[in-house]
Amino acid sequence: MNPLQWLVPWEFSFAVLMVTAVAAMLFIRGSLKCKLLFRQKLCFWTGLLSLYVVSHTQIDYYSEHEFFVHQLQSLVLHHLGPFLIVLSCPKEALSAGLPVAGRRLIRMVSGWKPLQCLVKVLFHPAAAVTVFVGLIAFWLLPPIHFIAMLDWRIYRLMNWSMVLNGLMFWGIVLDSHSKWSPGSRIVMMLAVIPPQILIGALIFFTPHELYPIYTLCGRAFTGMSSITDQQIGGLILWMNAAMMSVIGILIVIHKELQSPESILKSALAAKKSLD
Amino acid sequence: MHNRLFGTRRLKFGRIILYTALTLALNGCDTGRQQQLPEITGHLPDLRFSLMSDTGQPVTNQTYQGYLIMLFFGFTGCQAECPFTLFRLAKIMRNLGDNANRTRILFVTLDPGRDSPQVLHRYVAAFEAGQVIGLTGNETEIEDLTKRYRAAYRPRKSDSDELSHSAAVYVFDPQGRARFLVTPDDPIETVADVLRRLLASS
Repeated sequence: MNPLQWLVPWEFSFAVLMVTAVAAMLFIRGSLKCKLLFRQKLCFWTGLLSLYVVSHTQIDYYSEHEFFVHQLQSLVLHHLGPFLIVLSCPKEALSAGLPVAGRRLIRMVSGWKPLQCLVKVLFHPAAAVTVFVGLIAFWLLPPIHFIAMLDWRIYRLMNWSMVLNGLMFWGIVLDSHSKWSPGSRIVMMLAVIPPQILIGALIFFTPHELYPIYTLCGRAFTGMSSITDQQIGGLILWMNAAMMSVIGILIVIHKELQSPESILKSALAAKKSLD
Repeated sequence: MHNRLFGTRRLKFGRIILYTALTLALNGCDTGRQQQLPEITGHLPDLRFSLMSDTGQPVTNQTYQGYLIMLFFGFTGCQAECPFTLFRLAKIMRNLGDNANRTRILFVTLDPGRDSPQVLHRYVAAFEAGQVIGLTGNETEIEDLTKRYRAAYRPRKSDSDELSHSAAVYVFDPQGRARFLVTPDDPIETVADVLRRLLASS
């Protein structure tokens, strides 16, 4: 297959194409209006591009037909992509990129009471941690996974839910202007580690095939046994998913040490000790 | 009193969650072991294709309307799985008795370059003659059909004899709706029973 053919979507999705295009356009318009650091631009584009590549190219074929590739895809959709997008702090640029009517619409929608309540519930640390881990566990339950890999509508629901939840979770924990203290945000990231390790280890140590759907629909790599595939998939969740939390924690600590508030605090402490 | 009531309710709620979790977990562990055919009604699209049969005739899903269809992807160069599955399907057909007249096996090749209608005809004739139909087409037609049923397919590389293919047999009812997946581990009697019931109900 020549390199260009790799870019052809395995299953065309209008929604993926539109959302990516709109996000890209808003960001370009926004970055013309407000000054963004190179680091921010790099994070945003890498994040958006990684989400697009894993869901709208030939890679999608391999994620449908090999469990470990599916796990890699989930890792990008739920962890890496949203993580990078959130890290670029695109809120300001994206809203600057919105046309006036769009801004008015968002103001109107965000003033809607039921939505505010929903956001309040979903953005509570306990709920956010539960939903984040629950979603991973839910889609990996063998009977659910079976249907999700078979029914294209459920498959897309799974991928969309991963991205949206990823943006939500990393949006809460990495946002330095959040109403939650850095400590509680670090605790949130720590809290999602053990369940992911547990699920990854359960998959890794299961001696029989948990997800026969890959054999039934055919595996992309003929040379790999189903158990090896399952073990690699388990390991990906076990190791890398937890690693993202650690990176997140380091970033929160780093940001906190750099924030003007903490500089002021340490200056005051230094002054006190001098007095 | 209020506190006690609250306490009991919480306990009940906890118990419900525990039972649900246990049921889900046990169900999960038992998938593939319980010998019931995986039901897929409503999850895969209806049977639709336009290909060439092993007798060289252009055929579509309309050709087999009113028949119970067992669709299977493979290739004649396949050493183990395809002959094994076709052999099993032939046995299922014999087990079906008279119902076999209302059932057809469609064997879609994943190697259209090598599997011409003639090659396919010789191959399927070795199994249940007349009831197994070999289907071929160009690479795009084959890819469209495999994609429709989420079956693995990558055109064979010229230097390789290997091809990845699905292990499942897709069962469609006489109205063309996808109903079950037959896995290689399902006992022949179980499959025949399910097919008989399906034919009786439609």
